Amino acid sequence: MDIAFSEEDLAFQQRVRTFIDQNLPTGMALWTKRGEWFKALANEGGWDVPKWPKEFGGPDFTPTQRYIFDLEMGKQSTPPQLPFGVGMLAPILMNYGSEDQRDRFLPGIRDGSVNWCQGYSEPGAGSDLANLKTRAELSDDGSHYLVNGQKIWTTLAHIAHWMFCLTRTSSEGAKQEGITFLLIPMDDPGVEVRPIITLGGSHSVNEVYLTDVKVPVENRVGEEGKGWTYAKGLLAHERSGLAGIQSSVMGLEKAKANARKVKVGQGNLLDLASFKHKVGILEAELLALEFTEMRTLARVASGGDPGPESSILKLKGTEIQQRITELNLEAAGIFAAPWGAEAFGPDFAHGATQSYLGGRATTIYGGASEVQKDVIAKNVLGLS
Amino acid sequence: MDLAYTTEQNMLEESISKFVSSEYDLDSRKQLANSELGYSDEHWQTFASLGWLALPIEEAYGGIGGDLVDTMILFESLGKGLVVEPILSTLVLFGGALSIAGTEDQKQALLPGIADGSVKGALAYLEAEAPSDFNAVTTSAVREGDAYVLNGHKSVVFNAASADHLIVSARTEGDVRDLAGISLFIVPSDTPGITRKDYPTVDGLRASEIALESVSVPLSALLGQPHEGASILNQVINRGILAVSAEAVGAMEVLYKSTIDYTKQREQFDHPLADFQVVKHRLTEMFIEYNLAKSLCMKATMLLNQGTADAQRHVHALKFLVGKSSRFVGQNAVQLHGGMGMTEDLAIAHYFKRLMIIDALFGNANIHLEAFTG
Repeated sequence: MDIAFSEEDLAFQQRVRTFIDQNLPTGMALWTKRGEWFKALANEGGWDVPKWPKEFGGPDFTPTQRYIFDLEMGKQSTPPQLPFGVGMLAPILMNYGSEDQRDRFLPGIRDGSVNWCQGYSEPGAGSDLANLKTRAELSDDGSHYLVNGQKIWTTLAHIAHWMFCLTRTSSEGAKQEGITFLLIPMDDPGVEVRPIITLGGSHSVNEVYLTDVKVPVENRVGEEGKGWTYAKGLLAHERSGLAGIQSSVMGLEKAKANARKVKVGQGNLLDLASFKHKVGILEAELLALEFTEMRTLARVASGGDPGPESSILKLKGTEIQQRITELNLEAAGIFAAPWGAEAFGPDFAHGATQSYLGGRATTIYGGASEVQKDVIAKNVLGLS
Repeated sequence: MDLAYTTEQNMLEESISKFVSSEYDLDSRKQLANSELGYSDEHWQTFASLGWLALPIEEAYGGIGGDLVDTMILFESLGKGLVVEPILSTLVLFGGALSIAGTEDQKQALLPGIADGSVKGALAYLEAEAPSDFNAVTTSAVREGDAYVLNGHKSVVFNAASADHLIVSARTEGDVRDLAGISLFIVPSDTPGITRKDYPTVDGLRASEIALESVSVPLSALLGQPHEGASILNQVINRGILAVSAEAVGAMEVLYKSTIDYTKQREQFDHPLADFQVVKHRLTEMFIEYNLAKSLCMKATMLLNQGTADAQRHVHALKFLVGKSSRFVGQNAVQLHGGMGMTEDLAIAHYFKRLMIIDALFGNANIHLEAFTG
């Protein structure tokens, strides 16, 4: 064991830093020139898809390189890619999709020209995802499925071109059997998207109603009835991506800077023991979580599976994200209250309230914390 | 010691709970919060006719002469309904300051109007520089002949738009953080030189930023002794803390109970959620947090009522504990409702937001823990 980076790692770190220096757009350009940023990443040897394997154009990072890459990108708050295509669907297509599906969909996923959403949860299938009821019936001639049902909490369905969707093709046997993985175009006349306004007034999730949607069998990924197995592998990917550790590291620094701006007595909020200790506890836990992620990466590199341990990252990572939003909320004080078009008080106050409210979802989506604990208890500790 | 409510107190609780259940479902509240006024004037008149607005006001001024325990019952019940009418501002802060420090003339002029529903008020005591510290005052009041002239800016003044009168803290001497040198003034809202920027707040209420530019008021506008406003403010804030703590206790009760109801009927893995031990324990913890907050709320209220020496310490402990427990209860109500807890369509979200702002009012849990531990 050696905590020090090797010469090669240090050189890689320098390379990433130089790349960011030279290519990251600043200020408003961060939004207008996103496309160029991702192009530059792609030209660097697949840095736009750091987790993809080499055969699909990924960079084939060592675990230490992945760690360094995420660290440096996180430090500079580089623009993230929407996770649904690159992070979630792509690995499934690589593992279970047909040659034709990979050719059709991976390029659009990679260059960001096609937006995807995830059609998993249903009103009766949240934590108990396998309980889903959306029916897909194969036509008599075997050419297409007719899909009927309702999805809920579908993030960004309103801007998605396609949805990857879990549907029920059989009610025989265990709930996990008889689930089929379909790719559904959102412009089908049978697809209706209704917005859900969430805590804090924002619109990112939706209800998606599917009425007699005709899905050609070519859009089925893998075998009929095996969708659950495919999705389960993907959930592990989703979880490890949701920990958001580097963004929490940055977020905590920002929260400290915000607290320094708030005067209390003769000093500022960071001088207050009751606040300072919360910051300190979070910092210590983040140091540990960051290295836990590193250990997970190392295990994957030596041929292991991120598997159930990724639940630790999701569980702890989202809890830490939420506690950071609490610090900002506390720093905003009563200026957390103004909620009109115009902002008042410290410049971070309005965002602090939004993040606190919206952030409550992080311990619910992608497998609620209570479910993550069950996963760890059962699959890691062997407690059934 | 007697912890039972009197007959009158039971009737008060019953009448508010009747009003809340018949008039204050979530849709009605949303409509009121989104209306131009932000609340219902008709409700306000109802409150007056039911005697709620007269509750804490002395009998000599048209009131009922209730004590802090009565006010606690009022606010706990209002908290269950998330009532948006400006009762805290008018009754506890504005009316409270008048009761504590007003002259006979000042009380005669304003308290009967509060009791009969014709006068509303607000307390403009915070400034942007140090929004948790009501002793940090830069707004100035300078005596010029028969008048005081006020200049400065007040922040997040709840219910200022509906107030006929404001009580404004301003510095008559000393430096920005000096305890001595703060004075309070009763200022009619339409006094020339006052400009307001009104806005909605995240918890469905209304507040304003207020600029004071050469606002001239007569010497008779001074509330209490000159330079000694800090101690009056402290007493008023203490009452405010008791009121919002009681409100939070009411809101927490609704949250833990509705979360029990939801988890009993929501099934996952072929069982109601409430069958799972982790959910049972969480609900139990919510219930315990609610109870601790309620206990300390009762104790601090009765101590302050009697004016005992350790009342102040209990008020600090209370505001800390209410912040802590309402965060736990609120967050877990959302968590156990899953995705549904995140939607604005469920009442959960609105109780959650109100509890969030109650923690921020009058100094949050951090500030009061510091004061409590000294």
